[in-house]
Amino acid sequence: MKFNFKSLSLEFTLSDRKIAIIKDSLEKHIKLLLFFALSMISIFCFIYYYANGLGLAFNDARSHLDIARRVVDNLKPGFAQLGSVWLPLPHLLAVVTVWNDFMWHSGLAGALQSMISYVASGIVIYLILQALGVRMIGRLAGVIVFALNMNILYMQSTAMTELLLLGSMTIAVYELIMWHKEDKMSRLLKSGFWVLLATMNRYDGWFLLGFASILIVIQAWRKHGYKAAEGAFLLFCTLAGFGIILWIIWNWVIFKDPLYFISGPYAAATQQQQIAAAGLLKTEHNWSYSFITYTYAVIYNAGMLQTVMATIGMILFWFDKKISGSLKMASIALMAPFVFNILALYLGQSVLFIQGLNGNSWFNVRYGLMMIPTVAVFAGYLVHRLKAIRYILVLLLLFVMFFSIVNKDAVTLDDAVFGASGKNVSAVSGWLHKHVSHTPGFVLISVASHDAIIFSSGLDMKRFIHEGTGMYWNLAIAHPAHWARWIVMRTYDLHDMTYRLIYKNPEFKNDYTLIHHYPFADIYEIKPQYVKYLHMKPYKEL
Amino acid sequence: MSTLFRFKNYLLILGLIVFVAIMLVVSVRGLPGNPTPTQLNTPYWKNNGPFELSPERGRFAFLYSFVENHSFYLQPSLAQFTAPDVGYWKDHYVSIFPPAISFIAIPGYLIGRHFDLSQYGTFLWMSLFALCNVLLIRLIAIRLGSNAIAATIAGITFLFATPAFAYAVTIYEHHISTFFILLSIYLFIRFNSLLSILVFWIVYAFAFTVDYPNLFMMFPLAIATFFKSFFIENLHEHKVIKISFLRVLSVLAVIIPLTFLLWFNQMSYGNPLKISGTVPTILSVKANGKPNFGEENMKKKVHLTSLQIAATPQHSALNFFKPINMLNGFYILLLSPDRGVLVYTPVILFGIVGLFIANKKKQKYIPLLVGIIGFNFLLYSMWGDPYGGFAFGGRYLIPSYAILAIYLALFLTVVSKKKILLFLFFLVFIYSVSVNTIGALTSNAIPPQIQATVLSRVEHRKVNYTFMHDVNILNSNNSKSFIFQQYAKRDMTAWQFDIVITGAIIIFIFVLLLIMNKKKIQYAEKNSL
Repeated sequence: MKFNFKSLSLEFTLSDRKIAIIKDSLEKHIKLLLFFALSMISIFCFIYYYANGLGLAFNDARSHLDIARRVVDNLKPGFAQLGSVWLPLPHLLAVVTVWNDFMWHSGLAGALQSMISYVASGIVIYLILQALGVRMIGRLAGVIVFALNMNILYMQSTAMTELLLLGSMTIAVYELIMWHKEDKMSRLLKSGFWVLLATMNRYDGWFLLGFASILIVIQAWRKHGYKAAEGAFLLFCTLAGFGIILWIIWNWVIFKDPLYFISGPYAAATQQQQIAAAGLLKTEHNWSYSFITYTYAVIYNAGMLQTVMATIGMILFWFDKKISGSLKMASIALMAPFVFNILALYLGQSVLFIQGLNGNSWFNVRYGLMMIPTVAVFAGYLVHRLKAIRYILVLLLLFVMFFSIVNKDAVTLDDAVFGASGKNVSAVSGWLHKHVSHTPGFVLISVASHDAIIFSSGLDMKRFIHEGTGMYWNLAIAHPAHWARWIVMRTYDLHDMTYRLIYKNPEFKNDYTLIHHYPFADIYEIKPQYVKYLHMKPYKEL
Repeated sequence: MSTLFRFKNYLLILGLIVFVAIMLVVSVRGLPGNPTPTQLNTPYWKNNGPFELSPERGRFAFLYSFVENHSFYLQPSLAQFTAPDVGYWKDHYVSIFPPAISFIAIPGYLIGRHFDLSQYGTFLWMSLFALCNVLLIRLIAIRLGSNAIAATIAGITFLFATPAFAYAVTIYEHHISTFFILLSIYLFIRFNSLLSILVFWIVYAFAFTVDYPNLFMMFPLAIATFFKSFFIENLHEHKVIKISFLRVLSVLAVIIPLTFLLWFNQMSYGNPLKISGTVPTILSVKANGKPNFGEENMKKKVHLTSLQIAATPQHSALNFFKPINMLNGFYILLLSPDRGVLVYTPVILFGIVGLFIANKKKQKYIPLLVGIIGFNFLLYSMWGDPYGGFAFGGRYLIPSYAILAIYLALFLTVVSKKKILLFLFFLVFIYSVSVNTIGALTSNAIPPQIQATVLSRVEHRKVNYTFMHDVNILNSNNSKSFIFQQYAKRDMTAWQFDIVITGAIIIFIFVLLLIMNKKKIQYAEKNSL
């Protein structure tokens, strides 16, 4: 190294061998570096959203945490509290830590799995691109598209189920791609395991099971004939479909109906029927509208530039003669969420509102999140393919993402805070916290309608009598004046289980006073003269 | 290069300059006289005249105040002229536009004032930059391997067949920004000296004072220029890396134009770091000269919950650009009937074909130029108002049109012998030049579709949001061209005037295309100038 004072310049030499060593070392340790970087980003984002209270903005996030909590802390604790509204995996994972009050109320018990999934997905996107023969810059571009996406960053900081699904599905697809590439049975089994986890998380996973099964049959048949295809199919489905079997048995045992999760009063299909009755399910039986709605959701979640890049990347990928047919076939699995969501919208099994397209508010726009790994993979592929402008493409991506970050530009956050997916129940939960904490007595409330209120009140779970408390619930519904000091419900709303069951009850009519009317619920309190007849403590016999 | 070739080349350049200059002189909007602030507030000068929108008014008002009143503050009548795009800061009306345009226009104003044509002189002076842009496009295109005639056609296409025409005949920032971008590109590809790097940094910072988004649009150039300080030489099994600190330090040249900006900010807002766009604006000026902030509207503040406040970004100049707007932005800028490239200037899309050709020929400046287009397009697609308010076509994409024109030249060079493709180009050119000449001769005040719909409802009449808005102006025998109003109106209708100008441009291009088709032309790896 020498410094030339005359021309004010520094000159140094690097041997090609040294450069190669640095390159090799970087390549070797990149996954570790990614793990470290993604973990740091993940932790930072959780702390950021926790500190400003946005981590629990989703109504559903609070419900997920409460479901897990009720397994260990409830008037009637136990695994039956997992219920049938949602698939059980996220709650089962949260049970491990949710007993701790901080983990419960910070949301970390639920977010932890999302955070781990975030880190894992980032690394797996890198691996998928590596498997597709994409060079380092393309792989990193793919990771950037995923890891710096504001919607992903927000959702990984919450106790929602999307990131866990995303993680399990992405790893499953990666293993599937590797199976197509290497033809090793272990890859098929690994893929089956991750599909199993996905099926126990959200129904998107069930579709992936079907989708992946078809791809496996085609590949195995093409390569080894019918018998091998049959074997591969059975092997894969036995493992991957095990969760579905368990879920059906669970519904049978607990709710006496194997399909209770479909036909139950809180099933998505039942809720969709109510929305359809109100004339708001415009995507039902309309292919083009379903397609447009979900495409908009993908664009709003993944970003316009990223989606355009991914679309071009996908086209180039499909026409790339250097990529084998089986690899192309395997990569179709990346499109499973797209097909599933459009199908669900078309069949009326799903509801999604895009502000400006089919409503004035957002609702469930986060479903578009499922395509972000796909967008990341194909955008990364495009960067790899367009050699001449690959660095400028990365720069443009960073440019757009910079504005996304400084403007907190996350449509999922908007949905939770300004849209229909969040409920600001602070008024009613604040009242409960202030007046119920230090006064003995139970609160009668429906968790199906008001879990967010239960969570936000900060009260002990044992203070609530709800549908999951067995005899307490039955007794309180029959004789509220003996059990419930307060009743929280939406008056005149028959969808509120509590109201539906007690509005004709003479005890309710005579012994209670409406003390507060809030946007999401009303609070009734027993008249002072009847307090002495109330049960104030739990009974072991019940 | 032979003497004859040089002579022909100079003749072509001279012919080009004369032709473009004539077209601009006859098209520039204007009225005779040296208007006073009171006169400026009349419809004659405002809606019906050359100052139809606030960007023109704001810049002219500051220029007027600076030259005539020797003040950075606007007197109430000038503020009323500019409202609602006028700031009120520390008991003074101030300009909210970046300052450089008004200062650049001063010579034109002074010359015009001498001939009792202060407004026309100002606008005509600004159109000089449009002419320079044509020449720069030609220079760069030739430098990148295009034929001189093809490069000339490309330059003309940029100016007359895109919305650049409508903004060359008034006082807007677009042509000056484009000028600085093109100048920087030329400096970058033509020179590699310390002086050229130094000049680039001055140009970069000065462009920022013309229009703040230039900071982003020229960012690829800034990075590329910065890397000119590093030299890597491949020796046997070694790489020699040299860093020139003189070149690195040349970035400090940005201080010169930034000092100008700081001075303007200090004089206008009493704070050198106060950016003009962040000054609170008023709705109008009351009869007593006091500002009207629209208090009634301010009272209707939306009450947000604590979560909503946490989810809302802190107020800053960066809030204008949000990726969530990009879906709409892409549609508006590319496809929409009110602003889309496809509707207003499809001819420029041949430039994209040129880009692919350049890529095939492995031209090394592709990343740089694609980067500028990318930053330009993405920046404005992120903006909440990609329409550019009331405007003619996608005015924000004018720098991108210029760069695409460079590659259009390459496309024409490569297809110069393919009559069908040339004919196709010519047809699309005729359409594009016809649309844009109408815009230049009439009005830029075309509302976006979303506003036109509301206006139609309120005013109980159909308000057009496409260039048909301007066709209606021609139908009513109106044109804002100074030459038309002062001279041509006596002898011809507005439509005839439009046809003459459009026809002249089409014939000029037709002749050039014919010559190009006849000549032996081939792509040159790197032309010398």
